[in-house]
This record gives sequence, C-alpha cells and structure tokens, in this order.
Amino acid sequence: MTSQYKRYALTRAAQAIAVVLLAYVLTFLVISVLPGDSITNSLRDPQHGLSEEEIQRIVAFYGLDKPVLVQLALSLGRFLTGELGFSLQSNLPVAQLIGDALPSTLGLAASALVIAVVLAVAIAYGAHYLPGKWAAVLRSIPALFLSVPNFVIGLVLIELFAFRLHSFTTTDPNSAAATLFAAITLAIPVSAPLAEVLIASLDHESRQDYALVARSRGLNEASLFVRHLVKPSALPTVTMVALIVGELLGGAVITETTFGRDGLGTVVQKAVTGEDQPVLQAAVALSAIVFVAVNLIADLVSPLVDPRVKVRTEVHA
Amino acid sequence: MHSPEIRRRAFLAGVSAITLTGLLTACGGTATSSTANPGTPVDGGNITFLIQGYDTGWVSSKTSISSYEGNLWGQITDKLVYVDEKGALSPWIAESWEELNGAREFVLHLKKGVTFSDGTPLDAAAVVANLNAWAKGDPARGVSKVGLFPSSNFAGAEATDASTVKVSFSSPALGFIATLGYHGCILLSPKTLALPVEAQADLSQEIGSGPFKVKSWKQGDSYVLEKRADYNWGPAALGHTGPARLDTITYKVIKDTSVRTSTVASGQAEVAFNVEPQEIESLKEQGFTVGTPRYLGFVDGFQVNTQAFPTNELPVRQAIQHGIDREEIRKTVYTDDWDAATTFIQGNVPEAGDYSSSFAYEPDRAKKLLDDAGWKEGSEGYRTRDGKTLEFTLSPNPYVPSTAAEDELIAQQLKRIGVKVNLKVVDVAGYAAIQASRPPLFQTSRSFVDVGTVAGVLTSQNNGENWFNLGTGDQKLNDLSTAIASASDRESRAKIAGELQQYVLEQGYFIPLNQLVQRLYLISPKVQGVSYNGLAYANFYTAWISG
Repeated sequence: MTSQYKRYALTRAAQAIAVVLLAYVLTFLVISVLPGDSITNSLRDPQHGLSEEEIQRIVAFYGLDKPVLVQLALSLGRFLTGELGFSLQSNLPVAQLIGDALPSTLGLAASALVIAVVLAVAIAYGAHYLPGKWAAVLRSIPALFLSVPNFVIGLVLIELFAFRLHSFTTTDPNSAAATLFAAITLAIPVSAPLAEVLIASLDHESRQDYALVARSRGLNEASLFVRHLVKPSALPTVTMVALIVGELLGGAVITETTFGRDGLGTVVQKAVTGEDQPVLQAAVALSAIVFVAVNLIADLVSPLVDPRVKVRTEVHA
Repeated sequence: MHSPEIRRRAFLAGVSAITLTGLLTACGGTATSSTANPGTPVDGGNITFLIQGYDTGWVSSKTSISSYEGNLWGQITDKLVYVDEKGALSPWIAESWEELNGAREFVLHLKKGVTFSDGTPLDAAAVVANLNAWAKGDPARGVSKVGLFPSSNFAGAEATDASTVKVSFSSPALGFIATLGYHGCILLSPKTLALPVEAQADLSQEIGSGPFKVKSWKQGDSYVLEKRADYNWGPAALGHTGPARLDTITYKVIKDTSVRTSTVASGQAEVAFNVEPQEIESLKEQGFTVGTPRYLGFVDGFQVNTQAFPTNELPVRQAIQHGIDREEIRKTVYTDDWDAATTFIQGNVPEAGDYSSSFAYEPDRAKKLLDDAGWKEGSEGYRTRDGKTLEFTLSPNPYVPSTAAEDELIAQQLKRIGVKVNLKVVDVAGYAAIQASRPPLFQTSRSFVDVGTVAGVLTSQNNGENWFNLGTGDQKLNDLSTAIASASDRESRAKIAGELQQYVLEQGYFIPLNQLVQRLYLISPKVQGVSYNGLAYANFYTAWISG
C-alpha cells in the first residue's frame, strides 16, 4: 500500500513538473509567433526616429536576433538553473518584479477566496432552507454573479464606496479597506460556480436516506446542515476551489487594473502587451506551479473530507 | 488592440466618469474657477500626479521621449537649451552659445556651479559625455542613440575648459542647438551613463541635475520626487530660476482612465494624465484646467506610398486629400481644444505656413478628379476601373489611441466619394509589420524641435527615411530637401521650408488630419503656475498650490 502510494505521489509529481515545463515552452512559442519583440516594438515608435539598422544593433544585444529554438534552449537552461533574467521592457530583474508583486496578489486572492466561500455557503444555505420565493431568488443569484463582468462590479464599488462614501481612497489601493473591496470584486464572480455546486450537492445529500433518518430522529434543519450535510457536500466544492485558483489568478488581472493595485496580474498584463518574454515566462511558470500545487493539495485533502475517495484512490493508484 | 471588450470597457468607464461628474455637479461640488485670482506663488505643498503606467522603465535612451516616463524625466533632469511652446529657444544649462564656420562648429558656454543631485559638478566634461551618448549610444551595451540627434555629420565634442564645450560637425548642422532642447537630450551624470542597462533600470541610479530628485519609488506603483533646496539654475524663460515651489511630486500609477479622472474630480489627487477628450468640457465647467499642449513636429496624418496601388496615381492622392472632412473629425473625435492643421507640420513650428487650401474639404472636386481619372461609380457606391475597385487598407496609429475613431470616420467620409477603405486595427507589434509592408497610407506621429529634421525623412537621400517611397525619383523634392539640410542661415531655410510644404501637400505625398495632441493634463483648480514646453510636457517646476 505504501509503495503504491509512493508510486502515485511520484507520478503526480512528474506530471506536475511536465505541466510546468509544457506551459513554459508553449508560452515561449506563442510569444515568438507574434510579430516583433519587446525591444523592436518600443524602439520602432516613430517618435524615436531610429533607423532599422540602429534598432537591429540593440536587438542583437538582447540576443533576440537568434533563431527561436536557440532562444528557447537558452531561456529554458536559465530557468532550470533558477536564473530568471531581466525584463526586456524595464530592464529590471524579473525576480524583483515578481517578488514585489506577489504578496499583494496573494493577499487579494486569499481574501477573495475566503469571501467567495462565505458568500457561496450563505447563498447555498439560504437557497436550501429559506421559503420558496426567497430560495428561488437566491438560486438565480449565481447566474447573475457570473454574468456581470468583473470590472463593472469594481467600477460600481469604487464609485459608491471610494468617491461617494469615502470608505477608501483610490490613490491608496493597498490599504485594508481598498483590498477588501477589491477582494469582493474578485470574489463575486468566483463565488457563483461554488454556490451552484454547493446547492446541487446539498439538494442531493438532503434526499439521501441518512438525512431522512436524521430528520426522523428529530434533528432540526440547521443542526442537520452543520452536522451531516456540510461534510459530504464539501467534496465537490473542494475540487471546485482548486480549479477556482486559476480563475482567481486570471481575475486578478482585471481587478488589479481597475483598483490600480500593483500585483502579479498587472505584471502579466504588462508582459503580454509588451511581449516581455522573460517576465511572462517566469509568471506563467509560477502560476502553473501554484495551480498544480493547489490541485495536488486538493487531491490529498479530498480523502480526508470523504473517506470514499480514499478507497477509490487506493484501488486505482 | 481595441477588442470589443476594451471598447465596451472604455465606454462603461466613460459612462461611469460622466455619471460621477453629474453627481458632483448636482451635489454642488466645491470646484471653483482656476482663472479667478491666481495670486502670488507660495512655496511648499505636495501634489499627486496620476498616470496610467511606467512600464518601460528608466533606461534613459529608451524612455526619455516616452509620453509617460518623459513626465518624470523632465522633473529630475535639465537640458542645455529650453524650448518653449512656440518653438523659441532660450538658455538653460548652456547660458550662451556661438555658431561658427557656417553652422559646422558650436561653442557652448555652460552655467557655473550647476551640480547633479549626488553633488558632482555638471561641467564641460559631463556635457561631452552626454553629447557622445546622444550621438552614438553604445549598442554593445544595449544603449541606443538619440534618434533625432544629428549623428551622421557629428565629428566630436571636447571640453576646452571646465565650462566650455566645442562641438564640431562635418557639414552644416543648423538644427543642433534646437536639438539640445529636445526631450531625448536630457543631462545625466556621467556615472549614470556609464552603467550597464540593468543598473540604469534602477531609478535611484538616475542622477540628474533637475529641480527634483528621486526620494523613493516602487516600480509599477508610485514614485516620490522631492525638491532640491540648492537648485538655482532653472530656465530664465520660465521667470523663475530658484528651487521648485512644490515640496514633492508623487507619481501614482492608476491604469483606468475613468478612475484617474474621478480621483482628481473628487479632490483625492491634483493631476491626472490623459483623460478622455469627450470629458474635457464638463471638467472645465467644474473649474478644472485641462492642458492640451501641442508638441513641435509633424501633425497627425498619413505618409503616402507613391508606389503602391491606388496611391501611385496623383488624382487618387489628391482626391483623398480633398475628400477628408477634417473639421468633422475635429468636432466628432476631439474638441475645440484641438487645432486644425494648416500644413503637415504643427502650427507652433516657426516655419509652419498656412497651406490649408491644398487640402481643403472639397468633395465635388475630389469626385471630379476621380471621374477624370476613369474611376467610375460601381454597384455598391465604390468606384471601379477595368474591373478593379478603388480601395485600400488603413491601420490606425496605436501610439495615438484616438486615431482608431478618426480612421473609422475617414472610412465613412471616403465612401462618400466612392473610395473603399478597409480598416485593420493592430497593436504596437502589428503596426511595425504594417510599416514594413509599406501600405498606401501610413499614419505617423513624430516630434522634432528643428524643421531641418524634415529634410532627413522625405526622400532616401543620405540614408533618409524615404517616407513617400519615392527614393530619389522626385528631383524637385530632392532639391528642396537638400537645400533645407545644407542651409546655413535660417531665413533662407524658412523660405525653402515653405516651398517644400506647398509641394508635398499639392502632390498628396502627406495627408494631414489635425494638429496632434498626445498628452493631456487634468489639473485641480488649486494647482497654479503649470507651464508647458515645446515638447508638450508640463513643467511642475513653476507650479504652486494656492491657498
């Protein structure tokens, strides 16, 4: 059993490394397909008035005139030895750019995740236990949350709470209050699929025999929810949370831009528009690592939440 | 570049800002007129300047001319010469200069006692190091030259004593002194210039001699400048040479245009860079100042490829020239703060003349030109000849975002005279590829401080940029360009520049639209004394906060 688990863990780790490397190579190739490069694009601004020959000499300094595969091999070699290089746009060390941006994004994503989970549980609970009309309204909320674009929520919150109620200032987007509103912006669309999955699980579990037995023992609905339904309903939600981490990282781009926060999302957005390959490579690799790690953790947590998973895992591993 | 998502976003952002503006007005906002009793300047105070990004960093050779980074560079560095909004040159760090040997030699006499913010002297040796960097760059270190510097005939610079620099050229360089006022030619400490580019990217290593110095910064977030108490060498043309009035300027990155505008409108910051043109009027009504400075250079318009279909025909070029209603563009896309073009160079360039009749909106004349050339109206309203439709593809200039709306309107206007315009919107990277493919019309934006620059771009003579793809095929254009480049006195050069403008416009080589405003400044009513230089940057050196 232990060797089986070890093999399983090793396979998963190898898969994780393969995913990260593939993401790295794919990003490199996609950026290489785009016309131009970071240096040429900025120096070709007609305002510079530089000749093509002058531009090419600077391009050569950055090694961007080499064949794509050679550039890829060099880049991959540097990445594997832990060297992230320098941004082509700002010439600053990539490690510094990402290191500066990461805490802000992690704070935002973690707060958003907590808010999203609380929001989803509240919606699911209400949808399940409130009287018919209210339950119907709550059941339609996830669809509404999903259909309102992230930036609209952000702009409305800024308009209302920053400019009219003065709860926070847009010039200090890293303050606790501003972070809270940014997190709410990010959490709202993310909470929608969570709530939907939770509602469906609750519906399913509450129809099971054990729930019927619990009710017949005289347990009220609140106790039934807390003591019996939450745990089995949480399993698909845990899987969903792991997938949502990707959405949080993606949504952070827009939320950070709207609130003027500097973070990983902003770094990625700038790197994409500026074709800043070293920065983008590092950011994609980091995101892939986070995403793979979170999903791995979710796989490990699932058996703890629901013993049935453990049995299946062991059989198939 | 302008996906439906971004457009929708811009629209919603606009709606949000307009709503806010309305709310503020309804609430009886505290804004007062900025023109009322400006009072006497006072020292002290801080301003926050909101800007959409400082993405390209602090390697001066790459970003000193940037619309964004250029704002900060202008506060921490000085130039040898000051160029005002009308293109007039006046002394700055060079307190006087001599032009010798038919503009082949120049002697610069420097102000004494000027220091960089690290205390080292800004002397003749430092100026020589800067001149060499502007003229040649250092490609082996990834440092480019300054594009507009007259490098091809630059022979060298030497310090003859601690405050005198002699600069030599192999042929007349009438534009040299003007170039010293260009935003690419900022004076930095020789120590900074010698650093590898990665080290230059660190803003705290950028040592200038300007009225402000860097106090602290966090890349992509905020940049705090503080005044230098010992600064005493400002340009006399600004009427003030001592230390800056403001204590600090904080540049704060806020990407979203509507958030920037609303933050200033609600009094949480003093200046916002680049607001939506459509919001200017209501902001002004609330007492805000909106600076729309014009830079010296070419107007917003198109270089025409004379070898590509269909602009290889003179009647087609002229028909496009007369088929565009520039006034409608100005009224629809912009506001009255934008000036109509009178030629293909901006109105504040001293040599700019009024040749607007060469490109007046005359749709009937345009139609007749096309009729006479055999282009007959076909079934869908577009003209054809020998089975070929009169059409071309146009790409808006991504370096000036408002050009997308402009070009949409142009497509509609040219449809009225039977010319089909296909729009292809691309981003910055795609635009370089478009330029390389030499489309019939290529939209450009280019500043310069001396009209001599024009001579270097029109033909392929002397490694020129060959804007119209004529090579050296148009003798009259060759002669006019050569005459401008080799002129050794300004009066005769101005006369030739006039002839050149008339000829280029009549031939439909350049199709001007309107005068270009690339930088807009939304300024709180309490900020006074902001002035603008000839490169359309705001000077906050002279700014102060009114009680």
